[in-house]
Amino acid sequence: MKAILKYKTLYLMMLPILAYFAIFSFYPLVRGLIISFQNYRLIGDRPFVGFDNYMTVLKDPVFWDVLQNTIVIGTGIFVINFILPLILALSLNEVASVWFKKVTQMIVYLPHLFSWVVVGGMWILMLSPDTGIVNQIIQLFGGDPISFLASDKYARSVMIFTSGWKEMGYTCILYLAAIVNINPSLYEAASIDGASRWHKVRFVTIPQLSSTMKMVVMLNVLGILRMFDQILVMRNGAIADKVDVVMMYTYQKGILEFNIGPATAAGFLIIFATLVISFVTRALIRYDEG
Amino acid sequence: MVKRKKFISMIMAVSLLGGVLAGCSSNSGNSASGDNKTTPTAQADSKNEERTLKMMTGVIGGKTPEENVKFEKEIERLTGIKVTMDKPASDYDQKLLASIASGEKYDLLQVSKERMNTLIDQGVLTPLTDQVKASKVLSDPSVIPTDEWDQVKTKDGQIYGVFTKYQGGTMPIVRKDWLDKLNLPEPKTLDDYYNVLKAFTEQDPDGNGKKDTYGLSTAGMYELQGFFSAAGLKQRYVETADGKLDVPYSTDAAIPVYEWLNKLYKEGILDPNFATNDTGKMRNMFLSDRVGMITYWDAWVGMLNNTRKGQDPQTTFEAKGLPGAADANGNYMLRRGDPDVWVIPANAEHPKTAFEFIEWWNTQDGIMLGSLGIKDEDYTMDNGKYVLTQTGKEHASDHGVPFWYNSNVEAPFGKLPGVQEAQDLVNKYATLELTPPNWSEAEKIINEYSFKAIMGEMPAADAVKKMREELKAKKLID
Repeated sequence: MKAILKYKTLYLMMLPILAYFAIFSFYPLVRGLIISFQNYRLIGDRPFVGFDNYMTVLKDPVFWDVLQNTIVIGTGIFVINFILPLILALSLNEVASVWFKKVTQMIVYLPHLFSWVVVGGMWILMLSPDTGIVNQIIQLFGGDPISFLASDKYARSVMIFTSGWKEMGYTCILYLAAIVNINPSLYEAASIDGASRWHKVRFVTIPQLSSTMKMVVMLNVLGILRMFDQILVMRNGAIADKVDVVMMYTYQKGILEFNIGPATAAGFLIIFATLVISFVTRALIRYDEG
Repeated sequence: MVKRKKFISMIMAVSLLGGVLAGCSSNSGNSASGDNKTTPTAQADSKNEERTLKMMTGVIGGKTPEENVKFEKEIERLTGIKVTMDKPASDYDQKLLASIASGEKYDLLQVSKERMNTLIDQGVLTPLTDQVKASKVLSDPSVIPTDEWDQVKTKDGQIYGVFTKYQGGTMPIVRKDWLDKLNLPEPKTLDDYYNVLKAFTEQDPDGNGKKDTYGLSTAGMYELQGFFSAAGLKQRYVETADGKLDVPYSTDAAIPVYEWLNKLYKEGILDPNFATNDTGKMRNMFLSDRVGMITYWDAWVGMLNNTRKGQDPQTTFEAKGLPGAADANGNYMLRRGDPDVWVIPANAEHPKTAFEFIEWWNTQDGIMLGSLGIKDEDYTMDNGKYVLTQTGKEHASDHGVPFWYNSNVEAPFGKLPGVQEAQDLVNKYATLELTPPNWSEAEKIINEYSFKAIMGEMPAADAVKKMREELKAKKLID
């Protein structure tokens, strides 16, 4: 109590943010949890039905299909979003021209600032089989045009690649910021020991980046199951069975079919799964050990 | 040890908080059911019901928030009913859902028939059957043709919703000027369609010397009824003679149509972007001379013609609705859109006034407000004649009711070119489709295999077989 009084200004300053989270995060979360146990009607009584909604979802073959899609696409995005930015950051770090480095950084960062509606629409145009630039290049080299976004074979890869393309710049900046912070004396010591440029990257830069890598892993893991806008914008009837993810399922059940109970239950299964995955990842990468 | 203690206390705190909030919310649940119980009482003394209405609409109302306020005032001027009108700018269904769920009480909602069915299933709408039957306005066949009511009746013959407007249908829309230019007759059979579409692709109908046109473009599988008409197959679901649900597009009779579409795709006659197109892209291709035929709404025949006329008054551009391809007996089959309806929620506070408003909406004054708009804002009266203002022209006589059923009310400015013919086709050949609640699941399967068949990734016969198997396995057909 004494401590509270002592730091009362600090606690007061925390209040708005606490209120914000209470109103916009925790209340909806708790309310959602309750709804997931109810036979939810828009008006009138909403009897509790125990785990019925969860059973409905778990028994629904569509849910397992979309979960499979989520895992495949999510893992792909996770890997590409980890490796691509790392390679980019390490390469940019080796570039001597400051001007070139900054311009490249800005260009790769830009897509991150746009919403998926813009980025997705752009890629749909670029991948168009007749007027899209990608297919025009393929045709220039004598290939046949490919309907990337209407073909089972390419759909998931396109989703993974475009997501990597969009988010690469953001993660790259996290890496670059960490690289700047590496103690120069480590490089000096390595030079004295006769290390080559590659050796310095391999034995100084990469190990020093490990805590940033852990953070990137955690951030990406949290996002895997939440994929939605990209898929909503870029999907179409021809590839829906390959790219529809769990959040699309929730959207379809809740918003399109007004089936709020099962939709909320599916949402909570995702929250729960994310919780498990992030605990496992934390343990695996020893996140708490710095 | 300390860590574990912390963990346990955290869990306890969360569950306590959960308990407290759960308590709160079960209260609110109770109060919702309590409200339900009070509704009959509210109805009982509805004679001295306050003449106010709170409604939520998707397309009905002003085009901007400012105009919407004027719209509310105009309703009050014309009917004496004080109206609050919520008209979300986007994501109507989401906002509708959120506001009703959060306890907002509306007297009137504008929803699609599909949405109405979900709401009926949840038991949250007031049945209007008796009121409609007793209503002088609504039971008059010249206001709403008697057969039309079948569209909104439930299986047990109840009416929960009243039409907000006349909903048209979709059909193949062709560039009539291209047909004339290439000396082609209007196509009737699937073979005729093939010849016409092929000519559109290969004979440079826009005369720019480049092979940059397609015969046909669609927005995915959104609308192909006009072609499946050749096999006499209805889109979405039908109920068979023995009361079972079936998907005609998944029957063997559909195979020739898929093969025909695949031929179009292979030969570059069908726009290769058809899978990723939305309707906007499809329309733009039609307007920019890149495609000779699309499948879309009757009303758009007029809007397409009007748009091109607006850009160039000398244009030869002419869009025309077609009845689709005839089957072996010469019959056509088009698709009618699900109508939009007014519904009254079970917890409405002014249900009597709401019904009075619905009746008024189908009279001269209501129709003029829904189409032309607001007096002295969208139009003025000059010697008993309607004159559109600049705003009125921009709003194109559509404030939620571009067309209506009431044959006693004449459109003051006629219809846009091509619309009447297209509507005649709809009235003659189009029927409503059957959309069960799990349609979106079935749609996914139908789309998947239809695209495979059309794009040649799978022989049509195999695709249909697989489609049928999967629909059966997921219990989506009987």
